[in-house]
Amino acid sequence: MDPRGMQVGRRTILQLAFAGGLAVPALSLAGCATGGGGSDSSSTAAGGSKSDKNPFGMADKSTVEAVIFNGGYGFDYVTFAAGVVQKEQAGSKVTVKPSTQIAQELQPRFVGGNPPDLIDNSGANAIGLNTIADQLEDLSDVFAAKNLEGTTIKDTLYPGVEAPGTINGKLVAINYVQTVYALWYSASLFEANGWTPPKTWDEAIQLGGKAKAQKKFLFLWGKEAATYYQTLAIASAIKEGGDEVRLALENLKPSCWSLAPVQGVLKAMETIVKNGYMKPGGGGTQFTAAQAQWSNDQAALLYPSGSWIENEMKSQTKADFKMTGAPEPSLTASAKMPYTALHSAAGEPFVVPSKAKNAAGGKEILRAMLSKEAATNFAKTKLSPTIVKGTVPEDGFGSTALKSQGAMLSGAGSDVFTWNFVDVYGMNQDQLVPWNAFLSGQIDAAGLTKQLQSITDKVANDASVKKVEVK
Amino acid sequence: MTAVVPSMTDVVAPPSGSSRFKRPRRRRMSRARIVFILITLGLPFAFYSLFVLWPFVQAFIYSLTNWGGFSDTFEFVGLANYKALLHDDIFLKAVRNNLLLALVVPFVTIVLSLALATMVTVGGSSTGAVRGLDRSSLYRIVSFFPYTIPAIVIGLIWSQMFDPSSGLVNGLLTGIGLDRFESFAWLGEVSTAMPVTMFVIIWGFVGFYMVLFIAAIKGIPSELYDAARVDGAGRVRMTMMVTLPMVRDTIQTAYIYLGILALDAFVYMAALNASGGPQNSTLTMTQDLFNTAFKKGQFGLASAMGVFLAATTLTFAAVVFTINRLTRGRDR
Repeated sequence: MDPRGMQVGRRTILQLAFAGGLAVPALSLAGCATGGGGSDSSSTAAGGSKSDKNPFGMADKSTVEAVIFNGGYGFDYVTFAAGVVQKEQAGSKVTVKPSTQIAQELQPRFVGGNPPDLIDNSGANAIGLNTIADQLEDLSDVFAAKNLEGTTIKDTLYPGVEAPGTINGKLVAINYVQTVYALWYSASLFEANGWTPPKTWDEAIQLGGKAKAQKKFLFLWGKEAATYYQTLAIASAIKEGGDEVRLALENLKPSCWSLAPVQGVLKAMETIVKNGYMKPGGGGTQFTAAQAQWSNDQAALLYPSGSWIENEMKSQTKADFKMTGAPEPSLTASAKMPYTALHSAAGEPFVVPSKAKNAAGGKEILRAMLSKEAATNFAKTKLSPTIVKGTVPEDGFGSTALKSQGAMLSGAGSDVFTWNFVDVYGMNQDQLVPWNAFLSGQIDAAGLTKQLQSITDKVANDASVKKVEVK
Repeated sequence: MTAVVPSMTDVVAPPSGSSRFKRPRRRRMSRARIVFILITLGLPFAFYSLFVLWPFVQAFIYSLTNWGGFSDTFEFVGLANYKALLHDDIFLKAVRNNLLLALVVPFVTIVLSLALATMVTVGGSSTGAVRGLDRSSLYRIVSFFPYTIPAIVIGLIWSQMFDPSSGLVNGLLTGIGLDRFESFAWLGEVSTAMPVTMFVIIWGFVGFYMVLFIAAIKGIPSELYDAARVDGAGRVRMTMMVTLPMVRDTIQTAYIYLGILALDAFVYMAALNASGGPQNSTLTMTQDLFNTAFKKGQFGLASAMGVFLAATTLTFAAVVFTINRLTRGRDR
């Protein structure tokens, strides 16, 4: 080989090595260390004696660390509860840290065996509850404890609040905020035009026609929130088909998306899309920007969402909008559940890791949060009810949305339902894809059904995914 | 460091033996020299091993396990993760998207930046000395501008520009009477999402590579251009016959840089279409890896994706080198 060739060869190698060096970050992104697995000793600081004032035996003058998802509700409500704990358990010190990257931030701490004492595992980057269920404390003793006013906590809560946080019989998470899912609209706009919120899908389609006459749309959506329409569809289908539909979806049954009630709802939605009642362009619009087109520009009449919507859009809602919620439309007159039936669930799952240094302290914060003072503070500042009953006065602190939530909840009575399979198996990300395509008219109801089924089947057939059986 | 003082005595050669064939003379290394080597080579290598090679090995090991990411326990499952990847239609879609990016983005960026570089260096008036266009320094500054903006900001700016209802792009298009762009979701339609994404990446990089090529072209002796011009070559011919062969190595380097960027592209995708775009048409391997690890809690599978991505990147570099070798020919 001539020297020139040699020279090129060496340079080539150097450049290759350099390219390799750039390829490495891709690998190390996936290769976080599992080294330093901590000892198994749990609740090392537990040592205080248990009493009604200190039901979990939080050690005297101990420190507690809480990591709270800093989203629509902020984190100051936990700071408020932390203040209560510091007052009740004299000498203790509670630190509350906000985070928007729960999974990324806490993953190494779970692996290292030193997780914080209390986590609000919420938001787009929440840890799949199923993934860490084995490493969490059973929180049923929090519900069994007495609150700061001396009443047993369980007796102060709405019924069914433990359902979303129960995995295979163990209460691993306490969902703090009572969320009502509904179709939200501007009561003032509806009143001015003599419209009423649709009680059936046929009425919805008619309303779409009326909206179009006024150059408005019936619905709109944003790309990250396309699955809000899935939530709407499932709720409406469960009202139609009852537990049969709910359990088929929850247990990822084959052809669960082809059940007649689900198909009926999807077909109605398909008509809405085809008639042009859906504001085009949602697939390229950031979701809060899209929501502002509804709450501020009033480009569309209805928006399906959870009750966090009022707080989320607070600064971008038109004056005198009078945000009000209505239950999801029914499909047929022979539906198994009445129109007033409501999709409502407790949200914002708080978990206490078993390996936390001061698990008792974490539970103590929860106890403070579930007491009257902190729960009322939350309802008042966030305009959302917690799972604690009776914290919202009749006038809803002057909020029409909060007032309508109370009306919907009392109208529903015991016909309140929810489901968890989307969150438990972390399917939302995959489901966004067909929903965006469906809402923008790229695929029809049949195409949507096929893609949703294949996402569901993929999880159902994946032996490495632990299944949660719902009965 | 006090130890790094060259001591001359140690450089003296040891007494030579009587043998006719002397062994290569071997200097005994002084303490200072050892310390010097340890600091300049050993320390970086230690860091490199700890923070680069070890994670590399770790990722490979995890890729053979079913580690969920949130505990310190896992089982080895052999190559099951890799098998799962080969049957994972979403991941395969991401691989195809990445390959498309790696084909188009470097090519278009290099063609455009080379054209611009040529214009501002040798594309000017064809009388007098070889020079660029008038006011070329202004063009140079203007086109370098996007590179001074961080990638995430570029992504966010353009996602607002392409906003269907209030974006500038649709505003301009509907403003000149093209009503079909009313609420047109550039980033939400399968047919436009990927081209628009590529456009944004290319927009961000053309200026930088233009500057790179300007430097390379400035390094070419101007006699070559003068001679070519005397021989009657026009601008295009000069570019093809003089500029291109002379900046070949720079193009190769640029191609590899851009290819690696295209195989990653995470930042741009996160800003433009964080959820993978319509029908996953802009989903990249890095995004799928991220979702699999943090949203689905399957770190073993995600590590396998990382290993696959690294292998793809290395293969890409090897392909570029091979093509460059083959087309250069062996005659020189």
